[in-house]
Formats: sequence, C-alpha cells, structure tokens
Amino acid sequence: MTDNPKLRLRGVSKRFEATRANGPTTAVADFSLNVANGEFVCIVGPSGCGKSTVLNMIAGLDAASAGSIEMDGRTITGPGADRGVMFQDYALMPWQTVEQNIGFGLEYGTPGEGMTPAQRAQRVRDYIELVGLNGSERKYPHQLSGGMRQRVALARLLANGPEVLLLDEPLGALDAQTRLILQVELLRIWGETLERSHRKTAIFITHDIEEAVFLGDRVIVMSSHPGRVKADILIDLPRPRQESLRMSARFGELTDRIWTLIRDEAYRAIGGGSPANTPTQEIRV
Amino acid sequence: MADARANLFSGRLPSEGGALSATKSPADGGVVAPARHRGAPAWLRRTGVVLRSYALFIAAWWLLAAWNGNPIQLPDPASVFNALVDLARDGELLEHTVVSSTRVVIALSIAVSLALPLGFAMGLSRRLESFVDPLVELLRPISGIAWIPLALFIFGVGNMLPIFIMVYVAFFPLLLNTVSGVRSVDRRLIDASRTMGVSRRAVLERVVIPASLPTVMVGFRLAFASAWAAVVAAELIGAPSGLGFAIEWYRQLLMSPKVFGFIALIGLVGFLFDSMLRALQRKLTPWHTGASA
Amino acid sequence: MSTAGLALGNGRPVTTALWQVLALPLLALLVWQVWALTLESDTRAPYPIKVLTTFLALTASGDLPSALLQSLGRVIAGFCFALLLGCGLGILMGANRKLRDSLDPIIEGFRPIAPMAILPIAILWFGTGTPAALSIVTYAAFFPLLVNTVHGISHVDPKLVRAATTMGLPRWRIMLRVLLPASLPSVVLGARLAMGVAWTAIIAAELAVGAKSGGGTSGGIGQMMFVFYAYSVDLNAIVVCMIVVGVVAMLGDRIFRAVERRLMPWRP
Repeated sequence: MTDNPKLRLRGVSKRFEATRANGPTTAVADFSLNVANGEFVCIVGPSGCGKSTVLNMIAGLDAASAGSIEMDGRTITGPGADRGVMFQDYALMPWQTVEQNIGFGLEYGTPGEGMTPAQRAQRVRDYIELVGLNGSERKYPHQLSGGMRQRVALARLLANGPEVLLLDEPLGALDAQTRLILQVELLRIWGETLERSHRKTAIFITHDIEEAVFLGDRVIVMSSHPGRVKADILIDLPRPRQESLRMSARFGELTDRIWTLIRDEAYRAIGGGSPANTPTQEIRV
Repeated sequence: MADARANLFSGRLPSEGGALSATKSPADGGVVAPARHRGAPAWLRRTGVVLRSYALFIAAWWLLAAWNGNPIQLPDPASVFNALVDLARDGELLEHTVVSSTRVVIALSIAVSLALPLGFAMGLSRRLESFVDPLVELLRPISGIAWIPLALFIFGVGNMLPIFIMVYVAFFPLLLNTVSGVRSVDRRLIDASRTMGVSRRAVLERVVIPASLPTVMVGFRLAFASAWAAVVAAELIGAPSGLGFAIEWYRQLLMSPKVFGFIALIGLVGFLFDSMLRALQRKLTPWHTGASA
Repeated sequence: MSTAGLALGNGRPVTTALWQVLALPLLALLVWQVWALTLESDTRAPYPIKVLTTFLALTASGDLPSALLQSLGRVIAGFCFALLLGCGLGILMGANRKLRDSLDPIIEGFRPIAPMAILPIAILWFGTGTPAALSIVTYAAFFPLLVNTVHGISHVDPKLVRAATTMGLPRWRIMLRVLLPASLPSVVLGARLAMGVAWTAIIAAELAVGAKSGGGTSGGIGQMMFVFYAYSVDLNAIVVCMIVVGVVAMLGDRIFRAVERRLMPWRP
C-alpha cells in the first residue's frame, strides 16, 4: 500500500435517524479503507450491508456521521465532478438524446469549463466511439436497450474526466449474458491495458462475487448490520482479464473464499436461518 | 366460438384503441397485440370502426326520433344537420365558437401564469407548501359553479364571468400537478447532476423543469377539460354570447335542431382542442410513455 | 453550490405544525374581515362574521338543512342510477373487446360535452324540476363510473385469469372471484370521482334551473343560491351556501376514500 492513497476512509460510520417504519439504524460502522491511485476496488456484501451508503459518502451525496473521508489528503465535503458516479438505474435525462446526455456535465457542470463548444462536441464524439455507440447519437434513452443505456451512463461518467470512478452496481439491471459481455467491455474502457498510473481509480459495488473477482484488483468483503470491512482480499489474477480466467482454479479459490465469508450473512439477509439449519433429510412424498 | 374467445378469456393482451383501451396494460409491458387482419393498416381500421360506430349511433337516433315523434324534444339527425349548415352559413357557428374558445384561451393563460410559478415554488419548498396547501385545500372543494352567483354579482353578465370561473376551475389541477411534477422528479437525476458539479440554478432549469414537464402537461389537459365544462355552465347562466349562451338561447326559442347542433359542436370543438393538447404532449414529452387522463 | 436543500421527494414524512396549517387561512379571514370593516355599515358585501351569523340563522330556520337534504337526495339518487348504468355497461364493455371498440368512439365523443350542456335538452324533455336535475346528475356520474369500470375489468392482469383457468375454475367463477375483486380498486376510484362530479352537477343544475324557472320548484342548495342572488341579494347567504357545498364535497371525498381503504385492505 502506498503512502499516499488516492482515497482514505478512516473510521467512517453512518447513522440514520428514526423513521416512521424503523428506529434509528447504524448502516455503516467504523469503515476504514485505503485505495491507491489507479486501483480497481470491488466491494461486495449481502443485501443491505451498506455498500451503497459507503459509495454515497465517498461521492459526497451523504455525509458521514463519524470518521473522515479524504481524497488526495483533502477532506470530502460534497459531491463534485472529481468523483464521478454511475448509478444502478443510470440516471439518464429522459428528455435528452445520447449526445446531450453524455455532454450534460460538460455543458452545465464544472468539467466543461474553459472548453469551447467545438471541443465539447469532439469530446462527446470520442466517448461515444469509445463505448461503441456510434449511430445512436440522436436516440433517446427510452429507445435504447438496457445495455446501451449503461454505456451512455459510462460515457457520460468518463467524459467528465473524473479522477475517481464510483460505480454502484452498474451492471445490476442487465441480464446475465449481457452482464458477462459488458464486464469485459468495462475493463477495456476503464483502461485495463494502460499502466497503473494512467488508469483511473475505481470503486465498484456489486453483490455478484464472480463479477467482483473478475473485475477487481482487490475485493473488500463487507459484513452487515452494521456494515464494516470483514476482509480485504487481493486478487492476483493477471491483467488483461480473459474470459478463460473464469474457469481457472485460482478464480474458483478466490470466489469460494469470499462466498464462505459472506454466506451466513447472506442467509440471514433473506430472512432464513444459517445453512446449518436447513433441513438435509429428503422429504418423502 | 372463435369470437367468444376473442376477449378477456383468451388471454389476448389489450391493444391500442380509443381512450378506453388506450393505456397500455402493465401486464403487456407496452407490447401492442398483432393486427388481426393483415393488409389494412391499423389507423385505417380504426377510422372504419369509428365511422361505423357513429353511423349506428345516428341510425339509432333516427329510429328513436321517429318513435318519439316530437320534433322539439328529439329532432331527427337530418334537421340537426340542416340547422348546423344554416348556422355555419350565417356565421353564428363561427362567432360563438370563437367567443367561447377565446375565453378559454385567455382563462388558461391566466391560470397558467398563476399556477405554474406558485406550483414550482411549492414543489421546491416544503415550508411554502405547508403554508399554502391548507388554503388551497379549503378552496378546492368549492366548485367553480358555486362561485357563479357571487361572481355574477361582482362582474355582472358579460365576458369576465366565464373567464373568472374558468381561471378558478383551471387553477387547481394546474397547481396540484405542478407541485406533484416537481416532487416526483427522480432524485437520482438531481444526484447525478450534483456529481457533475452542476450549479443549483442549472439543476433547477435543466433538470427539475424538464423532468416535471410531463406531469404539468397532464395537469394542463385536465385544466382544459375542466375549463371547457365550466365555460358552458358559465355562459349558460351569465354571458350574452358563446356556445353555452347559444344553446340556452335557442332552447328558449324552442328551436331544438339548433340546440342539438350547438351541443354537438361543443363536443366537437372540445375534442379538437384536446387532440391538439395531446399532440403537444407527445411533441414536448415524447419519453413519457403510457401518459395521462 | 449545494442543491441539498431541494425539498424533493426524499421520502421522509412531512409533519406540519398546526399553526402552519391555520396560518394562511386565518390570515385570509382576518384580511377579509378588516377590509369589510372599511366599508359602509350597511354594505351588501359579505364578511366572515356576518357569514357566520347568517349560517346560524339559516340553520335554525331549517332552510339550509332542508335544501341540503334535497340536494343530497337528488345526488344520491342520480348516483345510484349512474352506478347501475355505468357499471353494468362497464362490465360488458370491459369483458368484450368488440363491444368496447364499437362504443368507445361514441363515449369519447360525449366526453367533452359537459353535463351542463345537456341541461337544455333535459329541460325540453322534463321541464324545470327534479327530473331534469336528476338526469344531469346521472349523465355526469355515468362517465367516470363507466370509464373506470371498463379500465378495471379490461386491465385485469391476464396472468391472473390464466392462473385461474389452469386451476379449473368455470368462467362465471372467474368473473366473480378474479375479475370483480381485481377491478374493484378502479371501480371504487370511479365511484369517488363520479360522486365529485355528481355533486358539482347537481348544484349547477339547480342553479341553472332555478335561474330559468324564476326560483320555482326545483329546490335544493343551488336554487337557494340563485334566490339569494336574484331576489334577496343576500351575499352572505350565498357565501354560506358556497361553504356548505365545499364541505359536503370534501366529506364525500373522505368517505369514499375510507370506503376504498376498507373494501380493499390488500392495497398499500
């Protein structure tokens, strides 16, 4: 671990006040994490463990109840274009075309400051090319498939040139087959083949363990109620990640290890007992 | 047997049609059932159905009028048609239509300029809403019609009466829908904009306003429908011109064909206006699928 | 600049303090009263205190209660007619695509024709009096009931019907046990809307009929309002009537919403 992590979370916790439905809850407690520049870190955990809450705090959309979050040594106080976010449901403006959506931050936000309209248009075109959406520039989100919308959201994220990419289950709304394809695409677009120092730092939330192992340099396993870091696992698989890696023994070991860590929590999350409680006897009809 | 099954029990998914079958069923996820007959395009078949329905309606009307035998109570379709032609020829048709339509347009413009800014402000500020909403909710149940006597006293018979009533009647759906539209803006869109460093002003202009537009448009259509109903009532009681006035005027003269003719005209003009609004809705908010009233 | 302050649907329930709820209405009342005080003492203009005393007087004399009862009676009668016609036809149209497609253009054609526009015809047929007013109410209440019933029946999730079929239910049972309960929310919504327009329609009809027949035999709150306008020129009484109209409308709406909740506990 370097001495100057890109992101440093120290003892971060998040408490939510009582609502009509629940009492006060601690969603995240004592969460600490250092992320180096150019690292791709995946966070996995059972449903409701607070992964998205952590992401929201790094993004500055939510304030931490305790602890500190720093980027390049500066405390984070609010959202900004230096930390781009990709939401699970993409959050595309329905009234704008693909082009307009990708250029939204450039047009009205901070990333585009100092750029001429021509420069902005070129940048939009570059990213449309990068994510492979040529020909769909004038389409509206409701005319696109889920996979295409995801790519628009990704292009918008990258076009704004953030230093850190925060991705909240970006592939969650897609079917399994599209997801596998887009995982490879995502790595390519992220710049897997570049040198570490030229890559963007990325935090990727997912509940899909295989996805996390396939994509990440590290996988943080979270426990729930309250959410904290249960394990920090280095993924020593070679880059660029190939499809065949999914079949490799090492891949299997890593996913197995992570699943073992999560399993009990996952059972609890769906309201059942632990695997030890489930009946093992055959039921004769 | 085949026909009996061509209904709910056959599991066929609802297809596009008139308003009663216009909204897409949630179960079919927006998929339109395939055309039963190949060859004739959908719009042509639909026009055929409409024409056939009206033909049957007019035939039934004819029979009923013949059976009733009282031309004042129920004039036959032919005399109504002739009456309409006469009215068109001497310009009365156009005159009353224009008068009523102008009043509606003026009233809606006023209502929009009052309701939209207030609605936006209320939508954005919970505090403002908590103050204004009680007064709104107190006034809303008092229908526009109930205001007519008081308004008659204040404005007398004339142009202002229908316009006042219509502004009142159109105000509430516009206000409520604007507030609702602002409130229902997808939180995620705001969040996304904040993570792109978009300023607060730009978020309001570039995200909140466009995102709330569909609901506002629905409110506008509702407001028009209410206003169109109110204009007839108001003119019937308290105006010297307009379509509402006309039907009452000719009733007193016991000239039924003209009464019926104007009533049909009220329906037609109202329908045309609403079609225009629907087209406007499609143009302005094409992404808003499965809209509306 | 942070937009965190935007009070947009963040899901947290809003509790309004009582003083906030009362503030603007009370202020409006106060301004109104003060304005009236600046007028001459024998002014016709209505103002809150006078409205209150007029209300008490009208109630004590029995004029208000009897007019209210008359209007309510008509609205309920008209509503029941419309219920039979609207729901009956609605069920038929909802279950049969062909019928629906055939009748739909006619229904849509009548939609922009307000109940009041039918009034002259009603007067031609029935003269000025209760039957005319009743027919207007029925016409008004008919459409929301019809449209919502059709919508309810025709939008029953086909999968529910298919599931019932695969469990061997006969068609009439499916109608009773699947279609009707599934369409009930829509029908009740239609009833609530219908009640609202019916109440407006009866007031309008009574007002107009009262105006045409010179305050004659129609009775009801609408006609009473017209009398106060044209004959006694008692603006305070008019305001009393307006408020009563509003209160009844609100109560009717609340009652229907409560019925909605009661009838359909499975709805969130």
